[in-house]
Amino acid sequence: MLLAISVGSERLSVFDLSDTQAAIFFDIRMPRVLLAACVGASLATAGASLQALLRNPLAEPYLLGVSNGAALGTMLAFVFFEQFVLARPVMAFAGAGLATAVVYQMARSRAGMNVERLVLSGVIVTTFLSSIIVLLTSLLDAARLRGFTFWLLGDLSQATMNGFYLTFAAAVTGTIVLTAQARPLNLMMIGERDALDFGVETGRVRLIVFGVSSLLVGTAVAASGSVGYVGLIVPHLVRLAIGSDNRLVVPVSAVAGSIFVVLADMVARTAIAPRELPVGAITALIGAPMFIYLLRRN
Amino acid sequence: MTRLSLSLILVIVGCAVACQRAEVSPVNMQTREVRDDLGRAVRVPQKIERAISLAPNLTEMIFALGAGDRLVGVTTYCNFPPGAASIEKIGDTQTPNIEKIIALRPQVVFVSTASQLEAFMQTLNEQSIAVYVTNPKTLDEVFENLIDLGDLLGSNRAAEELVASLAERAANVRQHAIAPTVPPDSSAAEPRVFVQISNEPLFTIGRDSFLTELIQQAGGVSVTKDVPSGYPKLSKETAAALDPDVIILSDSPDNQRPSAAFKDSKAVKIGRIHRINADIISRPGPRLVDALEEIKRMLHPGN
Repeated sequence: MLLAISVGSERLSVFDLSDTQAAIFFDIRMPRVLLAACVGASLATAGASLQALLRNPLAEPYLLGVSNGAALGTMLAFVFFEQFVLARPVMAFAGAGLATAVVYQMARSRAGMNVERLVLSGVIVTTFLSSIIVLLTSLLDAARLRGFTFWLLGDLSQATMNGFYLTFAAAVTGTIVLTAQARPLNLMMIGERDALDFGVETGRVRLIVFGVSSLLVGTAVAASGSVGYVGLIVPHLVRLAIGSDNRLVVPVSAVAGSIFVVLADMVARTAIAPRELPVGAITALIGAPMFIYLLRRN
Repeated sequence: MTRLSLSLILVIVGCAVACQRAEVSPVNMQTREVRDDLGRAVRVPQKIERAISLAPNLTEMIFALGAGDRLVGVTTYCNFPPGAASIEKIGDTQTPNIEKIIALRPQVVFVSTASQLEAFMQTLNEQSIAVYVTNPKTLDEVFENLIDLGDLLGSNRAAEELVASLAERAANVRQHAIAPTVPPDSSAAEPRVFVQISNEPLFTIGRDSFLTELIQQAGGVSVTKDVPSGYPKLSKETAAALDPDVIILSDSPDNQRPSAAFKDSKAVKIGRIHRINADIISRPGPRLVDALEEIKRMLHPGN
């Protein structure tokens, strides 16, 4: 975090700031790094819990179409309720929730839920939502939506302190609530029937995990677009390091996710400075090969 | 039944006649070979009667030459001059409708960049429709294009007169673009200009944009003139450190205010914020001289 805050397209010395440098540091760099941390925590926590709940290592908000649901919600909010700042996260949450519900219903079968079915359902929902997004961008005024093409790939350059507060609140609440569900999730990983025998209300746990992860993904996407693969890479690395007890995996993923997105965005900010890359391109560059590796190992 | 088959035959015969006519006409034409901006040899009719423009700057150039009546198709972006509105639309610049283009039976299709060419050159060549590429990147190249297009369309006189008058206006701007009363090394002599293409995300002009040169001619200097590429997304940290004297906003609904990154800049403090028509600064055509004059008035209002 300290590293990320000290690096940027402009060189600053923390101990000797002119007015302009102070403005760059406090108004531009700080909100961006803080927002990156919250977005990373939200996506990684949502990914970790979804993987535990669905007993599926490839469950990830971006791959399941949840991020695209949130993106479409944000876009509709921008088109129809431009003047209401809160409409974007609210609609993003709704979109994420709806996409989650659809994918879950599609992936479920009498025989249970296997990896292929879930990933395929995710692909279908993702591409369907993408096509609606493309359709909207072609139908609507091009100049007005120009920013969206960049934003869709994940873009943290629009960070403000106000945007940060909301994402921060969601990330902290979400991580606490999901960590509280870690014990039932541990039991459900053994098997839903076993979990029922131990007195776990599986229906309630499922509702909480789906609801809260939709909230986390919704606020993260509304603030920064679709930053992909964070929910995949981070929980896996965490499990490799500390084992698969969700009571640890969920909160540690939140911390590791923050660090990951902060570092990825640092690359996006500085690699071709003074120009910028979309942060989603960096995370996908690392995440896609990892996805292939996990798929093969399964 | 007989009536039906009769009308069917009529339709078929009618089509055959019509198709034949479409094929015959170009063959009777006298043609000549010219070189376009990519250095390609293009065979065009001596007298071009039907042309299509695939870019708004080309449409504006052709109209400025007085040859707008030769255009049988333009893009949906072609909103100037007003006469362009009544011409058949063939889609937009990125996704033109190739069937529509062929149906309009043009002799020449004018395109503005090499990237557009790849997509349908072969198809159009098979239909013996010439494809002529122009790629102006400076004001001087716009003038050269006007002369070339004038030659192609048989409007040589009009082209020479137009370029002479545009060049005179541009020279006039360059002459008055320096303030005589201030010492040449003060910032008032050459204001540092930031051109904001969009606010969120923050896009500006870079090294490869023709606007960088235009600002120079108007007596200013673009603060992002060394940033690689034509229209880069700029780091806000860098933007805040640039501290421009003047900010020019490309006028569009999402770009009405300077980025928050400029809140402490000289331009915002003294209120040197200007808006300019987005079309005239994005199309390398005859109205680029209008843009030059307007930017000069923003930078050096006194002279």
